[in-house]
Amino acid sequence: MRVSLEWLSEYVDLVVGAGELAELLTNSGTAVEAVETTGEELQGFVVGEILEVWPHPAADRLSVCRVDLGGQVVEIVCGAPNARAGIRSPVAPPGTRLPDGTLISEVEIRGVVSRGMLLSEKELALGEDSSGIMELEGEVKAGTSLVEALSAADTVLVLEITPNRPDCLSMLGVAREVAALTGVRLRRPSFRLREDEEEAAQRVGVEILDGDLCSRYVARVIDGVRVGPSPWWMRRRLRAAGIRPINNVVDVTNYVMMELGQPLHAFDYRLVREGKVIVRRAAPGETITTLDGVERRLHPDDLLICDPAGPIALAGVMGGEHTEVSEETACVLLESAHFNPAAIMRTSRTQDLTSEASYRFERGVDPGGCLYAADRASCLMAELAGGRVLRGAVDVVTTDIGPRVVPLRVERARRIIGVGFSPDRVKEILLSLEMGVREEGEDALQVEVPTFRPDLEREIDLVEEIARIHGYQNIPSTLPATPHRTGFLTREQRARRRLASIMVGAGMREAITVSFIHDAWLRILDPDAEHFPASPLRLRNPLSEEAAVMRPSLLPGLLEAVRYNVNRRLTDVHLFEMGRVFVPVAGEKLPREPVRLGCVVTGRWIPKQWDREPEEADLYTLKGVLERIADGMHWESWSLARREYPFLHPGRSGAVLVGGEEAGYLGVIHPRVAEKADIPPGTAVMELEVDALVRAWKEIPEYREVPRYPSVTMDLAVVVREEVEAGRVEEVIRSAGGELLREVRLFDLYRGGQVGEGEKSLAFNLVFYALDRTLREEEAQAARDAIVQALRERVGARLR
Amino acid sequence: MSVVPEDLRGELEADPRTGEIVARLEEELGAAGDSAALERVRVSFLGRKGRVTALLQGLRDLPPQERRELGRLANLLKSFLEKELARRAEQLRDREMEEELRRERLDITLPGRHIPLGSRHLLSSIIEEIEDIFLGLGYQVAEGPEVELDYYNFEALNTPEWHPSKSLQDTFYVEVPGADYRDVLLRTHTSPVQVRVMESTPPPVYVIAPGKAYRHDVPDATHSPMFHQVEGLAVDEGISMADLKGTLETFARRMFGEDRQVRFRPHFFPFTEPSAEVDVSCNMCGGGGCRVCKGTGWLEILGAGMVDPNVFGYVGYDPERYTGFAFGMGVERIALLKYGVPDIRLFFDNHLGLLEQY
Repeated sequence: MRVSLEWLSEYVDLVVGAGELAELLTNSGTAVEAVETTGEELQGFVVGEILEVWPHPAADRLSVCRVDLGGQVVEIVCGAPNARAGIRSPVAPPGTRLPDGTLISEVEIRGVVSRGMLLSEKELALGEDSSGIMELEGEVKAGTSLVEALSAADTVLVLEITPNRPDCLSMLGVAREVAALTGVRLRRPSFRLREDEEEAAQRVGVEILDGDLCSRYVARVIDGVRVGPSPWWMRRRLRAAGIRPINNVVDVTNYVMMELGQPLHAFDYRLVREGKVIVRRAAPGETITTLDGVERRLHPDDLLICDPAGPIALAGVMGGEHTEVSEETACVLLESAHFNPAAIMRTSRTQDLTSEASYRFERGVDPGGCLYAADRASCLMAELAGGRVLRGAVDVVTTDIGPRVVPLRVERARRIIGVGFSPDRVKEILLSLEMGVREEGEDALQVEVPTFRPDLEREIDLVEEIARIHGYQNIPSTLPATPHRTGFLTREQRARRRLASIMVGAGMREAITVSFIHDAWLRILDPDAEHFPASPLRLRNPLSEEAAVMRPSLLPGLLEAVRYNVNRRLTDVHLFEMGRVFVPVAGEKLPREPVRLGCVVTGRWIPKQWDREPEEADLYTLKGVLERIADGMHWESWSLARREYPFLHPGRSGAVLVGGEEAGYLGVIHPRVAEKADIPPGTAVMELEVDALVRAWKEIPEYREVPRYPSVTMDLAVVVREEVEAGRVEEVIRSAGGELLREVRLFDLYRGGQVGEGEKSLAFNLVFYALDRTLREEEAQAARDAIVQALRERVGARLR
Repeated sequence: MSVVPEDLRGELEADPRTGEIVARLEEELGAAGDSAALERVRVSFLGRKGRVTALLQGLRDLPPQERRELGRLANLLKSFLEKELARRAEQLRDREMEEELRRERLDITLPGRHIPLGSRHLLSSIIEEIEDIFLGLGYQVAEGPEVELDYYNFEALNTPEWHPSKSLQDTFYVEVPGADYRDVLLRTHTSPVQVRVMESTPPPVYVIAPGKAYRHDVPDATHSPMFHQVEGLAVDEGISMADLKGTLETFARRMFGEDRQVRFRPHFFPFTEPSAEVDVSCNMCGGGGCRVCKGTGWLEILGAGMVDPNVFGYVGYDPERYTGFAFGMGVERIALLKYGVPDIRLFFDNHLGLLEQY
């Protein structure tokens, strides 16, 4: 809402400056988004009175004007057809600059020196009219500055009006706020409506068939109008409000809408058949062509203004093309009505059509103000376009539109706001907002709410008004006084924080990827729908097809992050993400939203350094991260078990089992997926169910005795067949090693000349110790012998 | 310079046998420049067949008088020699150590070893920071689903179907077989968690609820279809707007700096009444007005208000007995303001160049 202070001052004395006014409004809930000043661009221009005009001696299309600029009389060459003696026009003297930047100087035009320029509205950037020079209205003296002559020096406040305050979508409503905030009186527009003998009811009939959507319809008739441009002051004010002037009839409807907040519509009376207005819902299949030239197919819930032959307006949203006011219009049927906000909103949405009128109707217009607005507009129309206002208004009311009475307890206001208001202070505030107040005992007030405040229905609404006008800045600051209260995180929340810090400690960078994915990802990752839900959760109205599916996995987002970075030559990517995925549940409206921990590594884990070779990120990098998690979460048992997944390399993937429960997968992306998804081959990924990880978290690990006696360390290298996996060998070592064997660590893997074809050598470091004594070498040796024996029998190993 | 001190040499030269050894010693020890040479000197004098050893062994064949005299001199010589060798050996070791250390000198301007470095996402860090502030104020952390029912996202938050405020929030709807078009949606704010918490917990309630929210916005520098919010809710007996002000002022100063001014402006939200928007004074210009605060000197950081009695009605709280406040803030907005990240889309591109900064 754009509020011209020049216009506003018609309804309220502005006792504070624009800056202070902006702050007062902002602090009372009407946020001022910007403060604009106008008129500066017209500095330097003056009013010139044309005294005499004669043809240019050397140019057919030009004339020479003798122009009085107040102190001096100059000759100006001009090409405008309307240049004639007696009119007053804006003049740019030499040395001034036009809004488009053109510098005006004395120039000789075919032998005549022109000392300045007579200006059109377009050249002044005041309007579109470039047909001739601008003719100034009224008694304005030659030599007056143009800024003064046009009342152009103005300040416009750009206000953000919240949807609960339709009353503030008008100059009068904003003036009412200003009056309450600055303690001055509000002035309603003053006018005297002169009516003709002839009665409007003779010419117009109004019938409301759907009273649930239209509580009031006021019609007036103004006959004998001459459609033409509006006077300057009205055009200026409309432009300041952001509305394009059209003609005097339409401009009056817009002007009164901006002034009072009541949208009005002017029909060309002759085109309304039988002078009969019918307000009803659309019939099935009905259409209307609106003022914007669009033919619209209507919904049975759309409210229409019709004549006996069919629709003439989409109620509250836009008029029909057929009955539009034109240059030929001589008689105006003026509509001032109140429509159901929800109905207007629905029509505006479904027709994808908004207007200044629909914007106001859907927020709630004052049903008590329809007649007043119709009278005001009729009066202005008769004044500006001529014509006579027919006697009386046709005013049909279908529902009770009287003011509402809301009870208010002063104590309630004190408790909610936290300020010890006196009843007098509360009354003072309510009265300043034009409410009626009746006392019913010490604490209780009966408050009559004016009809222009549809938002005030309950006690709490009045409490807000009191807080607002009192000023939030005048409310004290305290903290809730509840002693027995502590803040804490749940086990799961603590676990998630711990997981995140483990990931960071493991060298992974946290990513956050968007929850919607392209469903092509599912076809790439899982072409036969074996792994992901067959029908993932889809958006009905996605922004685009690339973001139409709610992710069933963190994998697509992480792979996209890899691709994004690799495409920017950032090839070493180590990311993790902790977030929800979406799994539809049959028969339930809401999906499951398990939290997952996803990881991806690609490129090098450690780059080439000046004294060592780079280390590639691979499956074992991620397994290292997994081991960090296992250690950090104190899991008692876990494993990575060979398993195939449609999107992972079949030989390089496995299921992560934690405490016997399947928690997710780890592996290298399938080469086919890498190619289709355009990510580097060899990229390794892991995705785990956070819930499973949390369940296995031993938050308070049991104390294990710290060894106090020296340990015995031995290395053991064995040769096994290629297909015997290291994990199996380690398992045998652990089970055969007995309780003295405390640590087993594989430190070498060898294939080549020193072992046979199809064989490999595995070297383990074994640590033995006892908790109660120093271990003798022979004891460790015996355990080692048992291990060797078991390895020979169970995995066919021989010592190397 | 002689090896053997003057007075000792005088004494030893009194006997030609020790005198000769002294002369040899002067010659050989003077020439011994490293540990190996020194060892050779030791062997040639004190070794099993060394000169001093031989002299001492020859003593027993001498007459007692001579034996005593020469024995004294020989022992004098031996003990001098032992001490002198030890002294020289240590000197040499020191010198050799110094040389070794000089050789081991490193170029400490070479880069350090690469240790892979991890990091939290800036938004996660901010959420944790907010959580910690409210944990300190006695709040707990609640969570709710991102795919929500219209009931929790709108209706129970006093936002009926026709309400104009719904037009403020364009909503993503989710396909669910058998459900109405608008039944299931992506929550447009974290406020539905308020309703879920109150439904399942009797008052008093002090919670914050961080999480993702979604709006049907085409991405630009300040809009993202997915973003993060932190919701707050306090319901108890006797909670007032003054408590809301005090709480949010405390939060804003912890989050943005103790010297910040905090401003409350009336606003409108369907589920709070009275409602407020909260600004902090601009950190870029200190409140004087700049590009970041669009010349106002203030930065809007959150919306808040007293819980509307209608919302209490939906969850079965007695609005006469309990009052409460709620607030919601955009995490990305806080990140933009506090860390100067210029474009919200950067948070979800996951460009390493950004991730590595925080």
